[in-house]
Amino acid sequence: MSVSFLQQSLLWGLLGVSIPIIIHLLNRRRYRTVQWAAMEFLLKASRESRGKKKLKYIIILTCRALAIAALIFAIARPLVGGFLGWGGSNIDTVILILDRSSSMEQIAENGDESKRLSAIKSVQLSLQSLNNPKLILIDSASAEPQSIPSPDALSELSATAATDTKASISALISNAIDHIAENSLGRTEIWLASDLQQSDWAPDDGRWDAIRAGLADLPQQTTLRIIAMGSAVTDNTAIRTLSATRINNELALEIELIRSDANSSTTIPVTYSINGNRSSETIIFDGQSYKYTKNLALGNKEGEGHGFIAIPSDANPRDNVSFFAYGEGTPAKTYLISEGGESNTWLSLAAAPPGLNDNECKLLSAQQADQIDWAGATLIIWQAALPSGPIAQQLNQYIETGGAALMLPPRGESENSFLGIQWGDLLTSPQGQYFIIDDWNRADGPLRNGIEGTGIPASKLKAIKRRDIIGEYTTLAAWSDEKPFLIRRVIGDGTAIFVASLPDYTWSNLADADVLLPVVQRMIKLGDSRYSSAFAAIAGSSKAKAADGEIRSRVDAYQESNSSNAAYEAGVWKIGDRLLATNRPDTEDEWLVLDQNNMEALLEGIDFRLFEESANSKPLIKEIWRALLIAMLVFLITEALLCLQPKSEKKKT
Amino acid sequence: MKYDFLDPDALARLGAMPLEARHAMTGSVAGRHRSPHRGSSVEFAEYRKYVQGDDTRRLDWKAYARSDRYYIKEFEADTNLRAYFVLDASASMAFSAANDSRIQFARKLAATLSYLIINQGDAAGLSVCQEKIHLEIPPTRRAAQLNNIFDVLAKTEPTGETGLVEALHTIAEKTNQRALIIIMSDLFCDTAALADALQHLRYRKHDIAIFHMLDKQELEFDFERPHRFIDMEDQTSLVAEPALIANDYRHAMQQFLIDVKSACHDVHADYHLITTDQDYEKIIHDFLSIRLPKKGRK
Repeated sequence: MSVSFLQQSLLWGLLGVSIPIIIHLLNRRRYRTVQWAAMEFLLKASRESRGKKKLKYIIILTCRALAIAALIFAIARPLVGGFLGWGGSNIDTVILILDRSSSMEQIAENGDESKRLSAIKSVQLSLQSLNNPKLILIDSASAEPQSIPSPDALSELSATAATDTKASISALISNAIDHIAENSLGRTEIWLASDLQQSDWAPDDGRWDAIRAGLADLPQQTTLRIIAMGSAVTDNTAIRTLSATRINNELALEIELIRSDANSSTTIPVTYSINGNRSSETIIFDGQSYKYTKNLALGNKEGEGHGFIAIPSDANPRDNVSFFAYGEGTPAKTYLISEGGESNTWLSLAAAPPGLNDNECKLLSAQQADQIDWAGATLIIWQAALPSGPIAQQLNQYIETGGAALMLPPRGESENSFLGIQWGDLLTSPQGQYFIIDDWNRADGPLRNGIEGTGIPASKLKAIKRRDIIGEYTTLAAWSDEKPFLIRRVIGDGTAIFVASLPDYTWSNLADADVLLPVVQRMIKLGDSRYSSAFAAIAGSSKAKAADGEIRSRVDAYQESNSSNAAYEAGVWKIGDRLLATNRPDTEDEWLVLDQNNMEALLEGIDFRLFEESANSKPLIKEIWRALLIAMLVFLITEALLCLQPKSEKKKT
Repeated sequence: MKYDFLDPDALARLGAMPLEARHAMTGSVAGRHRSPHRGSSVEFAEYRKYVQGDDTRRLDWKAYARSDRYYIKEFEADTNLRAYFVLDASASMAFSAANDSRIQFARKLAATLSYLIINQGDAAGLSVCQEKIHLEIPPTRRAAQLNNIFDVLAKTEPTGETGLVEALHTIAEKTNQRALIIIMSDLFCDTAALADALQHLRYRKHDIAIFHMLDKQELEFDFERPHRFIDMEDQTSLVAEPALIANDYRHAMQQFLIDVKSACHDVHADYHLITTDQDYEKIIHDFLSIRLPKKGRK
C-alpha cells in the first residue's frame, strides 16, 4: 500500500517534527546552575532514572513529534491505496480505458455487481478524492476518446454500458498514447480497467512493441495504472451457436455449452426460440464443454427467420443467449470438374445423394470450367489437372471469399500448381498390398468425429494407386508410410482440401460411402456456411454497423435494447434490408486470464502499476486525514498522561 | 546587639523557660538538674544501713528510736548541666534556597540556647566540626563564655566536607561527665557511620538532641526546568532534568530520613527534623517544652 498527498508541498511542514526535540535540546542548554547540598540523593536518583525514566521521556518526546507529524500529514490530505504511488495524486488528466467486453459483465464471487460496474464505481470514488483531474474515456467498444465532464456521469453514459463486444486492449492503449501525443494534457495517467482476459490482451499482438516505444517517446512520463478485475470466473455457463444451417424445412443448429466448473455433471434447461415459437429442453452434461446439434422445424415459414437459444441467468448474464438468423433455403450446388470415368458417378452421388433434394451436382470438364457460377457454387470438386490461368484465378478468389474446394488427383501427369500445391508422381502399391490410412485428425477437418463422437471408418480405405502431394499444407490424414492422404490449405475465408486417391476401383475403394460421402457432405456444409454467415456477425464488427441511411431495429423478443449502444449489443437486427444476428465473439467465452508474469513481460519497460480489485466496488484510494487527526489526539493524550503522572506521585512526599 | 543571629525579644520571651536534662547529669557544682549521686538537696531519696565510716551526723535518729537500728537518710543530689553544641560547618550547611541558610539558622538556635543555658547557671560549650578543623570551646558556666560562643558562631563559615562523625567520636571520648550533646547538622554523611557515632555518645551516657536541618526545597525538589547541580562540598556537577529524576530523588530522601530517624531512635536521641523556613523561636519553645518534667515530679 502506498500513500500520496493532495497538498504535497505542505509536507515541508514535517520539519516541524524537530521542534519538540529542538526545544528539548535548547532547554537542556539553557539550564540554571544551582549549588546543591543533597547531591548524594541526586546522583542516586539520576542513576536509577537512566533506564525506564529516560525511556519514558523519550516516549513523551516521540509523542510530541508524532503529534506534529500526524497534524502535518492530515493537512497534506494523504491518500492511501496501492493504486497511486508516491506523488501520484498530482494529476492533470486521467485517461480511463474501460474494458466493457462481454466478459466484464461477470459478477465476481461474493459480489453483487458486474466487474464493469465495480470498476466504474471504484474509479468514480477515486477521482472524487483527487483534485478533479480532467477525465477522458476510451471505451473498448468505440475505442474513441471522449471527454467526460464529471466522474459522476460515468455510470450514466451509454459509452460505459454493457456490450457484447470484445476488447482489444493493445489498440485502446495505442489510441490513448496517440491522444496524449496529439493533445496537451499536462501530467497524464492512463487508468485501464480490465478483467485481464487473455484473448482481449492478445499478448502476441505486434502492437505491444509500438506501445512500449510510444509510451517511452511521450514528452512527459505517463504511468499506466491497471485496475485488474481478474477474479476467477465461477458458477457460469455460456451458450453459443456454432452454425445455423437451413436444410429444407428445418434449421440445424450446432450448439455449444461451456461452463466454468467442470467437477460434476450439470443440468441446464435450454430455451429455443425460432420465429416466436418457444420450446425448451434439459441438457445434462459432464466436463467443461458440450456440443450438440438441434434441428428446429421451420413449419410453413418461408423466407427469412430468426431466433435465439438461451439458458437461465447466471454469473454472467451476457453469455446466456445466442442469436441466429437464416435466409431463403438455397440448393447446395456442387460443380464437379472431372476427367470422366467411374469416379464421376461416385462423386456425383456423394455430392447429391438420393433423398437430399436440395443438393445439386453439375458435371463439367476442365475445359468447361468457365461455365461455373462462382457466386452460386457451394462446392467445387476438381478431379483433373490443377487449373491454371484465369480459371485458377477465379477458383482462388472463390476460395478466398469463403468457398470450399475438394481437389482430387488427375489420372495423367501434370505439372500445374495451385495454391502452391502440386500433384506428385503416381504411386502403385506392390502386388497384393494396399496403401492404407494409418492416422487422421479426428478432431478437425472432414474426417473429424461426429458431434456425438462417432468416428469415420477411414481405416477401411484401401488404395492401390495414389499421388504424392507436394507443397506447404496441413496434413489431416496420412498413409501408413506417413505420406499425405488428405491435406488442407486455408486461403482467406475459404478452404481447399486435397485428397491423394480417386473413388475408382482401379485406384481405391474410396467410392465406398464410408469415407467419401462424409467428406463431400462436410465440404458442402462448409461451403454453405458462406451463405448462412451472411446472416451472422460479431457484435461491434463493421458488418454489424448500419451504413449511412440504413435504419436499425431490433426484431428478437429476448430483451429491450439500448438504442445508442445497439451496434455493440447481441441480438437479431433489421439493418436496412438486411436481417442480421449479432453475438459476442467466441473469444469472450475463453476465461483464460493473463497472469502477472505474462503482464510484466508484456509491459516491460513501461511504468505501470497493477491494482487487484476485489469483489465489490470500493475506492482505489481514500483520504485518511480523519484517522491522522485521531492519531494526533491519541499522541497528545498519551503525552499528557505521561507528563501528569510524576505530579500525582509528588504528593506522597 | 552586634550579633545578627540574636534576637533580644526572642531571648526575653524564651528566658522564662528552663532547659531540663532528660537524664541525670554529673555536674561539677550544685544545680537544678538531677544527679546520679546522693547529695544534700531537700529531696528525700532513700534510707540505707549505716556502715562504718559514714558520717554519724547523717544518722536518722528518729528511725533509730523506732527500730533500734542505724539508718542513714539520703537525699537527691542536684547538679548543674553541661551542654555541648556540635555545629556542622561543612559547605553543605551554607545551602539556602529562599530562607536563611542552614548555618545561619543553626547560629540562631545555638546562640539562643547557649544564652538560655548559661543564664540558668549551667555550662555551655561549642564544637565546630569541619573536614579537617575541629574547633572546640569547653563548656563553662561563666557569663563570658557567651561571648566566646557568639564570636565563634559569627566567624564560622561553612566550607569543605563534613567532619561530623569524627567530631562526635572525639566528643564521646573526651567528655567523661554526662552531658547534653546538641547536634545541629544536615546529617549529609554516611548514615551507618553516624549511627555508630551516636551509639558511642549514648554509651557514654550523654543526653543527645539532634536538630536535623534541611531546606524545604531539598525535601520537595520542585524544580521545573533542567538544572546544573553543583555539589557544595566537592564541586562535582550534574545536569539533570528534574521531571525525570524527581520521584527517585524524593524516594532516596525519604529513605535517608527513615534511616536517620531509626538511628536516632536507637539511641533515644531527641530528634527534631526542621526546615529553615520555620520559626526558630517556636522550634526552641517546642524543644524546651518537651523536655519539661511531667507533673508530679519536682
